[in-house]
Amino acid sequence: MIDLHGYGPRLLEGALVTIELAVLSLILAVLLGLATASAKMSRNWVLHRLGTVYTTVIRGVPDLVLMMLLFFGGQIGINMFTDWLYYQFDIDIFINVNEFVAGVCTIGLIFGAYMGETFRGAFLAVESGQIEAGRAYGMSHALVFRRIRFPQMMRHALPGLSNNWMVLLKTTALVSVIGLSDMVRVAAEASKATREPFTFMIIVAAIYLLIASVSEWGFARLQKRYDVGFEEVN
Amino acid sequence: MADTPIPLEVRDITKRFGNTEVLKGLSLQAQKGDVITLIGASGSGKSTFLRCMNLLEQPDQGELIVHGESIRFKETKKGREPADWKQVVNMRAKLAMVFQSFNLWAHMTLLENIIEAPVHVLGKSKQEATEHARQLLERVGLGDRADYYPAQMSGGQQQRGAIARALAMDPEVMLFDEPTSALDPELVGDVLKVMRDLAEEGRTMIVVTHEMAFARDVSTQVIYLHQGQVEEAGAPDQVLGNPSSERLKQFLAPKH
Repeated sequence: MIDLHGYGPRLLEGALVTIELAVLSLILAVLLGLATASAKMSRNWVLHRLGTVYTTVIRGVPDLVLMMLLFFGGQIGINMFTDWLYYQFDIDIFINVNEFVAGVCTIGLIFGAYMGETFRGAFLAVESGQIEAGRAYGMSHALVFRRIRFPQMMRHALPGLSNNWMVLLKTTALVSVIGLSDMVRVAAEASKATREPFTFMIIVAAIYLLIASVSEWGFARLQKRYDVGFEEVN
Repeated sequence: MADTPIPLEVRDITKRFGNTEVLKGLSLQAQKGDVITLIGASGSGKSTFLRCMNLLEQPDQGELIVHGESIRFKETKKGREPADWKQVVNMRAKLAMVFQSFNLWAHMTLLENIIEAPVHVLGKSKQEATEHARQLLERVGLGDRADYYPAQMSGGQQQRGAIARALAMDPEVMLFDEPTSALDPELVGDVLKVMRDLAEEGRTMIVVTHEMAFARDVSTQVIYLHQGQVEEAGAPDQVLGNPSSERLKQFLAPKH
């Protein structure tokens, strides 16, 4: 039997941190992605440029660099702001950037840019006649989006979405650099202390693989759901 | 009894795409029970004219009055736009459109397609809408297809389903945009039969079509468009039976 030298519970906690981090980042990334796709497809010039700048900057800078930039830079920025509050208005507060929140924000921000491209392509793949029919039957923009564009877009977006999710899941390993105890960090500590890196890393690898497999199954089911009506039956 | 308002009236609609003026001041008045067919060669502007009636295209000038209510417009840098989209949404709910390529929503079953707008736009209860939908499906001969997806049906079935979807709105006016042009010849008959029935029961319809027999037998008025203008208009017997315009004579001449 594998001897975990008592690190079992901490590894499990680390795995939970990883999952929480990944899921919350995914939610943020999807919301940002939808907003970015809408901005880039908008006829409004400012929104369009904003979307383009966002995706270009994020996709052009390494994830690790962005994470440190946002975490340490964010703390400096907040400190400057609280200092300013203190000198100007005598308000004395101290805000500490929470590693978990910083991790979610950074990963969400990074993957929002990738999701934006995925969603934009998917929205463009929806046949214009489908949307026109909605408008012709008196649906508002919001209703057309909710009832027609979104559900029809999803079948085109899901392959890219699931791909992004897999990469996002693995990117969570980077949060150990800002001091968050995800399962990679726990495993690294345990490896050092016990001098058995292989044992802990193989376990971490297995857990990642497990999460990935479960989500692949989930995405396959989602794909099936959104494909309804599109497979021709003859 | 007070006079009921005219279902649909358009006055002096103009529309240009870039430098091409596709509609050069078109008017039309649909009284209750009228079946107006718009005929003309491709590029004559007949489909664009129809699409201007429910503002799927924005006319550059002209008036649009639906059930006595005039649509308000405002000038913007990009051209004229409706001043109040709520008003447009309400107006569209009164004019149901049947498209050339059916445009049934692909991710919904036929029944879901038909109850979609009644439930979400008109605010009917799902149960009431479903009952009505089933009656309509029987009517268009698709009683056994309620749970099929559009992709599982033939073009003719899809188009009859699309007509049922339009009827479910209890529309003031039905707009048909070349409803049989995308169909195989053997499927055209069923769709036309449904449309004839609708005309007989006194539905107000505006139909863009190439089916001259339908125009002759069913319409109360035929309008022949040429390059965005009315070349000839009037009762079907006169316009189709005894045309005065040379162009229309040529258009109607049998092609071999």
